[in-house]
Amino acid sequence: MKRRAAICVLPFLLTACAGEQSVLDPAGRDAQVLSDLFWVMLAGAVVLWLFVNGLIFYVTRIAPRPLGRRAAEALIIGGGVVFPTIVLGALLIYALSEMPNQRASGEGLEVRVMAHQYWWRVEYWPDGASEPVISANEIRLPTGQRSEITLNAERVIHSFWIPALGGKTDLIPGRQTRMSLEPVRAGQFRGQCAEFCGESHAYMAFGAVTMPPEEFAAWLEAEAAPAKPPEGNEATRGAALFLSEGCGACHAVRGTAASGAVGPDLTHLASRRTLAAGILPMEKAALRDWVSDPARFKPGVEMPGFDHLTDAELEALASYLMGLT
Amino acid sequence: MTEETPFRHRSIWHMVLAPVVWSLHFASVYAITAIDCAKTGTLDTAQLAIAALTLIALVLIAVITWRSWRQWDYLGDYTYVHDKPTVKHRREFLGHAGFLLGVVSVIGVIFVAMPALFIGSCQ
Ligand code: HEC
Ligand SMILES: [Cu+2]
Repeated sequence: MKRRAAICVLPFLLTACAGEQSVLDPAGRDAQVLSDLFWVMLAGAVVLWLFVNGLIFYVTRIAPRPLGRRAAEALIIGGGVVFPTIVLGALLIYALSEMPNQRASGEGLEVRVMAHQYWWRVEYWPDGASEPVISANEIRLPTGQRSEITLNAERVIHSFWIPALGGKTDLIPGRQTRMSLEPVRAGQFRGQCAEFCGESHAYMAFGAVTMPPEEFAAWLEAEAAPAKPPEGNEATRGAALFLSEGCGACHAVRGTAASGAVGPDLTHLASRRTLAAGILPMEKAALRDWVSDPARFKPGVEMPGFDHLTDAELEALASYLMGLT
Repeated sequence: MTEETPFRHRSIWHMVLAPVVWSLHFASVYAITAIDCAKTGTLDTAQLAIAALTLIALVLIAVITWRSWRQWDYLGDYTYVHDKPTVKHRREFLGHAGFLLGVVSVIGVIFVAMPALFIGSCQ
């Protein structure tokens, strides 16, 4: 890790090579291949650059003399045609030979993702399941196995990308696309919509968590369970407000009367690492601000603001939502 | 170079023929792949067709390039500057340009066809 980070930092004076959303800090089989590809391509480019510029330097500064016809022809044909064709051909063959593996099919778990403006509906279909475990705005995957990812979009094209785990694939309305990911180590990462989809496209991210298979199975079981009932007075008032304010028309909280499907499922909201598709921390204050005026954080968002609520009411709602672990 | 047809001396078409073959090859490869994937969901037929088309394109380009090389007549006088308003210079210029375009087209056709060698699925 240290050494790789140092390699990143030295040539570019960047400190951002490592981290949650870096293609140069891979945590998945496909991302590893892509990062190797990047370094090989970079090396190829550097070799070509040094060779061509070295040659220019040599013939103009070090030995500026007229060349004989044969030498000049050898230089132009060899250095200008044959050498770059071979180097580019070799790099092309290398890149192409990796491509089929990037499309390998998954086994076991299937994750179906539906992109909305500007959030993600996520369904987990374990092997042989007859109905899915529904979640949103976060992708969890077991390590050491290849999971199938099925992609769809509601209204416009989006693109699904977790740089630390693999390449990106577009989600297209009315058409199913697919990819697969094989995380090799457990960790927390960040994904991002990578195709312009509207005003808040840049705010359409998501958390990604990879975990050992047993941990993943335990998490999935908890995720399948209905919501915890509210604890304490404030949260109980919040639960009542949630229904009376009509949140349940858009949001589902399984185990309650709220069963809307317009917005993200909130049954286990507080167990996610981030709020509102990767843009806010999962904290009470952020929840309060979000519910009172979501458009402040995401222009064009399809959730109305609830700024007519009093501070105490917002506080109660946030308290209820933070209890939905 | 007395055996050359008068046509080629003046024709700009002969000069650009190799890239024209390349572009037709390019368009057909894309179209065939799309059609095969849409109709059968596999690339078996498309791969064969692309192999055949590539072979044909390479032969055509080789012939054009060879004819351009002869027209340039480099080994006759070792000139690659053709800047005089004379018949000879015009002829050699068109041959020279056609030859270089032929070389580029060979590389282009091979690079365009190569993915079909490695990628066997419509995914
Ligand atoms: C008209 C439908 C609608 C109503 C009514 C609505 N929401 Fe939303 N809500 C949405 C949509 C759509 C999103 C996704 C926004 C985005 O990220 O682009 C969302 C997002 C959220 C999120 C973030 C979810 C996540 O996964 O991070 C919370 C929390 C939330 N709403 C709470 C509420 C509460 C509390 C109420 C009632 C006071 C409410 N919503 C009313 C549509 C609605
Ligand atoms: Cu998007």
